[in-house]
Amino acid sequence: MDYSEAADRISRKFAKGGQTPDVKKIEGKLRRLVDEFGVQPSEAERSVTNELAKEYNLPVPGSGLSPAGGKGGGTEEKKIAEGVPGEWVTIEGKVVGLSQPASPSIAQSGIIADESGAIRFVVWAKSNAPAMAEGSWYRIESAVVDEFKGVANLKVHSGTTIKEISEDRSLIPTPNPIRDLHTGIGCVRAKFIQEWDASHDRMLQSGLLGDETGTIKFVMWKEPGKEKLVPGAVYNIFYAGVDEFNGRLSLNLNTATILQEEGEIEVSGGEAAVIGAIVHIAPGSGIIKRCPVEGCNRALSRQNYCPVHEIQPKFVYDLRIKGWLDDGEKTHSILLQRDVVESLTEITLAEAQGIAENNPLGMDEVFLQMRDKVLGRYITCHGREIENRVLVNKCEKITFSTADHTALLNRAGGAPS
Amino acid sequence: MSTNAKDMGRREGAFEREPARRVFAAELRECRYQFKDGEDEKSPTFVLLPSGERSNRIFIVGTLTEKTRQGEQNIFYRGRVVDPTGTFFIMAGSYQPEAMQQLAKIETPAFVAVIGKPNLYQKPDGSFMNSVRVESITVVDKETRDLWVLDAAKHTLDRVDAYAKEPTPDIIKAKEQYPTIDPSVFRKIAYDALAQIKM
Repeated sequence: MDYSEAADRISRKFAKGGQTPDVKKIEGKLRRLVDEFGVQPSEAERSVTNELAKEYNLPVPGSGLSPAGGKGGGTEEKKIAEGVPGEWVTIEGKVVGLSQPASPSIAQSGIIADESGAIRFVVWAKSNAPAMAEGSWYRIESAVVDEFKGVANLKVHSGTTIKEISEDRSLIPTPNPIRDLHTGIGCVRAKFIQEWDASHDRMLQSGLLGDETGTIKFVMWKEPGKEKLVPGAVYNIFYAGVDEFNGRLSLNLNTATILQEEGEIEVSGGEAAVIGAIVHIAPGSGIIKRCPVEGCNRALSRQNYCPVHEIQPKFVYDLRIKGWLDDGEKTHSILLQRDVVESLTEITLAEAQGIAENNPLGMDEVFLQMRDKVLGRYITCHGREIENRVLVNKCEKITFSTADHTALLNRAGGAPS
Repeated sequence: MSTNAKDMGRREGAFEREPARRVFAAELRECRYQFKDGEDEKSPTFVLLPSGERSNRIFIVGTLTEKTRQGEQNIFYRGRVVDPTGTFFIMAGSYQPEAMQQLAKIETPAFVAVIGKPNLYQKPDGSFMNSVRVESITVVDKETRDLWVLDAAKHTLDRVDAYAKEPTPDIIKAKEQYPTIDPSVFRKIAYDALAQIKM
């Protein structure tokens, strides 16, 4: 590293602010960090710069961040996509979605966008800010970007000024491939490929959206004016919230603008075929009881207890197998639905119910019989892979192939390849 | 081991089950080296196969020819499972109650599929003994046994081929630990095993 050059660079940054740092001292500090402490040169430069900024009580050069005890004056006009948590910013954008505030201390929450991107915002009730209308443009001065649950968020507080912009500007969002989505706000053009059972009373709909690059889960919560999506249809979805939950992304459609279109999308990915031997059948396989409440369908405990709807004596029986399919290199988690279980085990739901009700071991007997029929067997499973688990919609037993046998004999008998 | 984009995207600490390796009795018998991956008490233990692959779990299909019940207070079962190349010694004790009950029920001889963890013991006379702690055992048909012979042959050949090519850390370790074993003998063993399948 050329210390004197880096030291010059740093001192010039502060010279602009009227300070005259000691170049020799800067150089010494850099040398010490790099030579003695093995710090990366770029990191050393950054660290010395920040140290000086603190000393002079100045904003760190090249960022809008105020130093400790900042007065909120250092605010810069920015594009929305440039906002970094911790910064004071002034932005101009269009309110593209409003959502119901999660708490009485929030006056308004929603999404504001410009041509560079979009950000979630909250307006604190204490700020006494004028209410913003969906679809209008505003100039928001001296708001703060911070981070909430790992997602950037624009906070409008009492020091923020909001001005409506009357001129009509156009804003055309471009959809992102699902594969490239990250937490924050996202726009997608996607097909509704799978509807799931709502897992919560307040949930209007949940399911899976897919495009050419992948799939993503979505949820829509019950709110006046929200309509369910139609399975199989293609939608342009603008400004949906992208959340992370258990390491997986999910789209929240409540703030989004949703437009159905006529097109078709060839959804890629997800469809998998895995071949291997079943090496484990997990507890909870066999015959199970499900909650009969419409839209719930949860598996009940042995005492007929649903985690949401409590005791449900009028349960519905179902079959499933949860297990591991192993090809010798990798083990896949698999989940077989009722019809797949019936064809693989040759035990129908009605027969399984008969076994469960007329046998001293009850439901365990079904588990044991099914285990003995499938464990250690070679099968091919077709289905969609979600969260590292293959949801199997078709499977078949592998049969002995003379061609494979001959090919292996030739390979073993032949010269090393 | 494999670091494709999907694995990278996974959250750290996400559970990944150890795959069950396919290995013939003749190769497992040669194992002399067992190690732990990590310092943790719960870190998995691996037996290093002479063909250069670590194995925490194995899947075998063969003929259960013998089983014996042992112990008074702590009952456990031992058994012998025979494949075309030799014999696996299996055991299931009170720590594997499900496996022990399964094994207790099976009448010998029978084709069985066994999922279990290989273990290496040194006997007082200095010789080594490989045994498989059973996780589960079920009776299967001859077709499943034949499929397994193909599967085990394929994986054995894959390992032998890989050994001759680019050395992985485990292959380097295998060369150190088993200097006298040339894995190409397992190619011959695989051939003989395949040749025993009658049409």
